[in-house]
Amino acid sequence: MKQKKRINMVFYLMVVPMAVLFFCFHTLPFLQGVFYSFTDWKGYGDWNFVGLRNYLHIFKDKNVISAYLFTLQFAVCATILVNVLSLVLACALNAKIKCRNFLKAVFFLPYMLGTLIISYVFKYIFSNVVPAIGKALGIASLSVNILGTNHAWIGVLVVTIWQSMAFNTLIYLSGLQTVDRDLYEAAALDGATGMKRFLKITFPLIAPFFTINMVLSGKNFLMAFDQFIAMTNGGPGTATTTISVLIYKKGFSGGQFAYQSANAVLLFIVVVLISVFQLRVLEKREEKVS
Amino acid sequence: MMKGKKFLALGLVVAMTGSMIAGCGGSSGSNGDSNSAGGTETAAKDEKQGGEVELELFSTKTENADILQKMIDGFMEENPDIKVTLTSESDAATVLKTRLTKNDIPEIVAMGGDSNYTELQSAGVLLDLSGEDFVSDVQEAYLDMVYDVNVDKEQTAYGIPYATNASGVLYNEDLFAQAGVEVPKTWSEFQDVVAKLQEAGITPFELTFADSWTCLPPWNSMAPVIPDANFTDDRKAGSVTFAGTHDEVVEKYLWILDYAQEDFMGTTYTDGNAAFANGSAAMMINGNWAISEFLNTNPDMNVNMFAFPSVDDESKNTVTSGVDVLLAVSNQGTDEQQEAAKEFIRYALKPEVAQSYIDDQFAFSAVNGVEQTNETVSGVAKDIANGKVSNFPDHYYPNGFDLSTILQQCALNKVNGMDNAENISETLTSCDEQYDVANVE
Repeated sequence: MKQKKRINMVFYLMVVPMAVLFFCFHTLPFLQGVFYSFTDWKGYGDWNFVGLRNYLHIFKDKNVISAYLFTLQFAVCATILVNVLSLVLACALNAKIKCRNFLKAVFFLPYMLGTLIISYVFKYIFSNVVPAIGKALGIASLSVNILGTNHAWIGVLVVTIWQSMAFNTLIYLSGLQTVDRDLYEAAALDGATGMKRFLKITFPLIAPFFTINMVLSGKNFLMAFDQFIAMTNGGPGTATTTISVLIYKKGFSGGQFAYQSANAVLLFIVVVLISVFQLRVLEKREEKVS
Repeated sequence: MMKGKKFLALGLVVAMTGSMIAGCGGSSGSNGDSNSAGGTETAAKDEKQGGEVELELFSTKTENADILQKMIDGFMEENPDIKVTLTSESDAATVLKTRLTKNDIPEIVAMGGDSNYTELQSAGVLLDLSGEDFVSDVQEAYLDMVYDVNVDKEQTAYGIPYATNASGVLYNEDLFAQAGVEVPKTWSEFQDVVAKLQEAGITPFELTFADSWTCLPPWNSMAPVIPDANFTDDRKAGSVTFAGTHDEVVEKYLWILDYAQEDFMGTTYTDGNAAFANGSAAMMINGNWAISEFLNTNPDMNVNMFAFPSVDDESKNTVTSGVDVLLAVSNQGTDEQQEAAKEFIRYALKPEVAQSYIDDQFAFSAVNGVEQTNETVSGVAKDIANGKVSNFPDHYYPNGFDLSTILQQCALNKVNGMDNAENISETLTSCDEQYDVANVE
């Protein structure tokens, strides 16, 4: 008991203000959102409790269901592609190549720019630059604005991957730097090089970083919002309406504040469940390899 | 225990230092207080002598900020005892709703005659202006449009219509002359014009469907004319559906798409406006608000407008025109503020003030006898002055009904090669479904 009393007060002084701020500006609004999801509040004026009506309505709403399907499809593709590509990139940047630091800066640049800015720039590129190139080369599929077709989501996916790779590459790089060089030498003596070395030595050793990246990018892409609002606004039609875009559009301009709050709570639960599932599976894999 | 004592000592030191600082602060604070008290006293005196009333004018349009400020300056010169400040910010509708929750309503609100107005009116924060002398200064037709968006269509003027807009077909006069065609008055003539334009090698329509709201104007022009006049009321009551009443609207809508430029689904409003201003196509289906955009790109463009010829019966075709700006007064202010706000509306409705507003905005006026004389809209100015107008049908749809998305989907289906009959039925089914979802909530 005496031992425990000796915890330095400074630590509390560091943690408590942050905890209070976090509670006021994050937890409290979240709880408010949960509260409103049980009402028929429009964002102002009078409201009544409606129990679970909003939640039951969600499962009958075609818009919500198609948004969930689209978001899952997008999140799965983006998570896999981002992680594969950034792992490859991290390995390349970790090798002793020329202009390594310069290239690191180049690949990290997209992360420093705001998603909205990037999206508006790419919206311009997709609607003006790419079609001009497509026409000049006589490629029919490139000579239209991809954001105005059924494949609009691929355009957004490309931009999302390009931007998200920066952060994931950074984490993988820091993971690769924790790997002891001696191990590689020992592996080389045993004849493990190239792909074999990566699969048997490098990848198992950076497994925790892989877990973090998978969970973080999975969560981010399930909640994808900025890039869709800026590039397609959920269109054409409803082709690229993610759950967050739907919540924003219908909740704020559509007068369905309470109903979309319920949708947001549901999204929160889904994201938590998927993240916990990912952690469980990937941590088990970590244990197995180590 | 030693640690505890040390901690106590440290705590005391901190507390004492703190109180010292507080003490110093207190004395200087009291000095400051006496100063500021003197300040308020003089201010209070001023107010008694001058009787100054402060008003806030909140505008939901950012485009008209400059001209509103000019109007305010003119008003304050005439009424030195009233001080008006202008608030005009982007995403104003959301800001206004947020302020509504805090019961912080600006004394004067300048906003569109749309569902946002309905929400403010239904919250009961707007002053009844029906008894005021200036109500008779504005056109009956536009006053009716404001009544129509009141809850239960209450015949009470909570807002005074001020400026109006027009949606129809914008056309390039030079290209029309080049193809030797006249402005069409009926749907058949419209079809002829399109055929002749195409023969002359001119793209008939420039559409900008990458921005989903631009999918609305053709619908907004046809929907008030083609279906039964009672449609919006009957649909609300649930006695009719879009399917079976709007088939012709969608059919004609799809016909237009056949004559649009390539990749119209990927053209944004900004890019399309610039291309149209440089003569890429002969017509654009949009509103008077786009004209200033064209002239920014190409100041020499000869652009004009005509009413969308929805049907062959010329007398039925109308210009779609809605209340772009109405002026409303909050009933939450003091009596002096309410009187001053009415005084401001009286000033704004003066013919010369109303004229300078519409000249600046290429808009039309709801004030009797004030006409838009600009060449660029001469084709519809007469129709509007004669009251040959119908309101935007989407002003009558429920707030959450996102028609533009449905129409964008319909256009995408067309590009994907879906059969027209199938597309019409799918689009109208989706209209009915989405309408019901929005109508319940």
